[in-house]
Amino acid sequence: MEIELELLIGRKVRDVDGANVGRIEEFRVERQQNALLVEAYLIGASALIHRLSAWTLVRPIQRFLSAKSIYSVYEVPWQDMDLTDPHNPVLRTAKRDLRHSR
Amino acid sequence: MKKILQISLGIVTAVGGFLEIGSVVTAVQAGASFNYQLLWAVLLGTICLIFLVEMSGRLAAVSKHTIVEATRERFGFPFFFIVMIGMTLVAFLVLVAELGGIGLSLQILTGIGFPWWAIPVSFLVWLLMWKGTFGLIENGASLLGLVTLSFVVAAVRLHPDWGSAAHGLLPTFPGARKASYWFVAVSILGASISPSLMYFYSSGAIEDEWDESYIPINRLTATLGMSLGGFLSMAVLVVAALVFHPRGIDVQKFEQASLLMTTALPKWGFTLFALSMLFACFGAALEISLAIAYFFAQGFGWNWSEDLAPSRDARFCLTYTIIILLGAVPLLFGVDPVKVTVMSMALTSATLPLAIVPFIFLMNDPIYLGKHRNGWLSNSVVLIIILLSFILAVISIPLELIGG
Amino acid sequence: MHVVRDVLDKKLLDHEDESMGRIDGLVMQIGKSSQPRITHIAVGGATLWARVHPTLGRIARRMAGKWGPKRREKVRIPWSRVRTVGRDVTLDVEAKHAGAIDWEIWIARHIVERIPGGGHEEPDDGD
Repeated sequence: MEIELELLIGRKVRDVDGANVGRIEEFRVERQQNALLVEAYLIGASALIHRLSAWTLVRPIQRFLSAKSIYSVYEVPWQDMDLTDPHNPVLRTAKRDLRHSR
Repeated sequence: MKKILQISLGIVTAVGGFLEIGSVVTAVQAGASFNYQLLWAVLLGTICLIFLVEMSGRLAAVSKHTIVEATRERFGFPFFFIVMIGMTLVAFLVLVAELGGIGLSLQILTGIGFPWWAIPVSFLVWLLMWKGTFGLIENGASLLGLVTLSFVVAAVRLHPDWGSAAHGLLPTFPGARKASYWFVAVSILGASISPSLMYFYSSGAIEDEWDESYIPINRLTATLGMSLGGFLSMAVLVVAALVFHPRGIDVQKFEQASLLMTTALPKWGFTLFALSMLFACFGAALEISLAIAYFFAQGFGWNWSEDLAPSRDARFCLTYTIIILLGAVPLLFGVDPVKVTVMSMALTSATLPLAIVPFIFLMNDPIYLGKHRNGWLSNSVVLIIILLSFILAVISIPLELIGG
Repeated sequence: MHVVRDVLDKKLLDHEDESMGRIDGLVMQIGKSSQPRITHIAVGGATLWARVHPTLGRIARRMAGKWGPKRREKVRIPWSRVRTVGRDVTLDVEAKHAGAIDWEIWIARHIVERIPGGGHEEPDDGD
């Protein structure tokens, strides 16, 4: 099945129990000759904040927010994401089993 | 040697970008109504601009991306689109005002009403962009713009009390007419801190092929260029304070303002005012048209360069052609350029956060700037400007309704 | 590599460093149990405007079919044609054959070159 990746950005993701996890913000990929292999999805509370997190001003804010559990970024391996309905991405695991992104 | 000549980018940005119909109208109103009291607003605007312009140049020189390109790439198209709508709508209003300013200058010189000048003026602006190169526009507008130094000459000849003028550089609270005072202050800031100026400058740096070695000259250009603009605006304010304030003249019309320099320079004052406005607004019209076309072209990834023949960057050229044509329309119908100017400055203030907030993120991005990221001083200044811009955004529209 | 940060919205350059627009979208293939793969770069108004709102995307699609170069299918470039991913993304195709600059060529030929001083070269004549 073909999906337009750019439309997945910002889509809400639920876990296997139906709980809200966050929004798809980024895709970690491995580059190959003919394609980019999707390794993991980064799910977070705000698409914008994470996109900008590669730099100095936001990191302290982000760390502060993560510490207070206001804002976390989860890393979901590709096997755990079910995109058969691209408008409603669903995880194959529960939120509590998710790994935080670095 | 070539690097020193880059100073002309600073001058053209200053004269066309800083000193244009908006800053002259507000400076004249400020001097006429409040004597030297609002000089601090011009100073504040100048300082903010020096920092913002230096950053715009640094971003372009190091990352080889303009602000617009970097904004789309780092924030994605949907957010970029919001910024684009806000910025280009306001810039279009400013274009109408500048084209109108050229028309008004020709009106006072020839007696022929400005609506009649709308088409010839737009055509000339378009022709220069169509056939000219960036270097020609940059250097030509700078050179011609130097006639605005006559404002300084006029100020000196009127022997102002430099002590009282210096006092005006410190912020004071107004006695009477508070709403009007703050309205003019906000307008001065809206006229000076113009995002289009930043977009133009960063694109100019790319057109002039700056790289990391241009960082020192960029600092010099931004500082000297914007200081020149600020200095010229202050000269206008001082002259207006000396000529209009004692007589209690409330300057509302362009024709009144044109008498600005006749006291100091009886023979040439009127002509010099008209020519100064003519060239400053012409430079401004070119810059704004370019800034808008750059926004579209850079945002969508088209070819763009004033140095290319039009068929090589067809969509970019079509964009500025359409914009300039549309800009002439309100003037054809006799819409008052001074009113458009006042409105455009309030709207510039109101939409400033849209431009400055993403900008501070970009200026701290290691991917774009590496070790040339903002230091604590630049970041502090931008944060203050952001705070200022939110305040301006909130109060500018109500103030226009009350005090305008 | 991160797709949103490092690939999406980047400028595209052809094999001669001519500008080809921007990466407006990416096509991802997913299967029941296979690893998702991003196989194509998408360029064009329909792709771009759909990111702001689906209705805008539909309007852009319809206009693309009716005006200018009248292109019906979306412009897609296989990922295999990508040479480098850095500040910009360079491809090993020729701009005018990829379809990404159809509008540029159409406007150049039908509008700009008809105006005096517009020039008579094609946008990508490789000079």
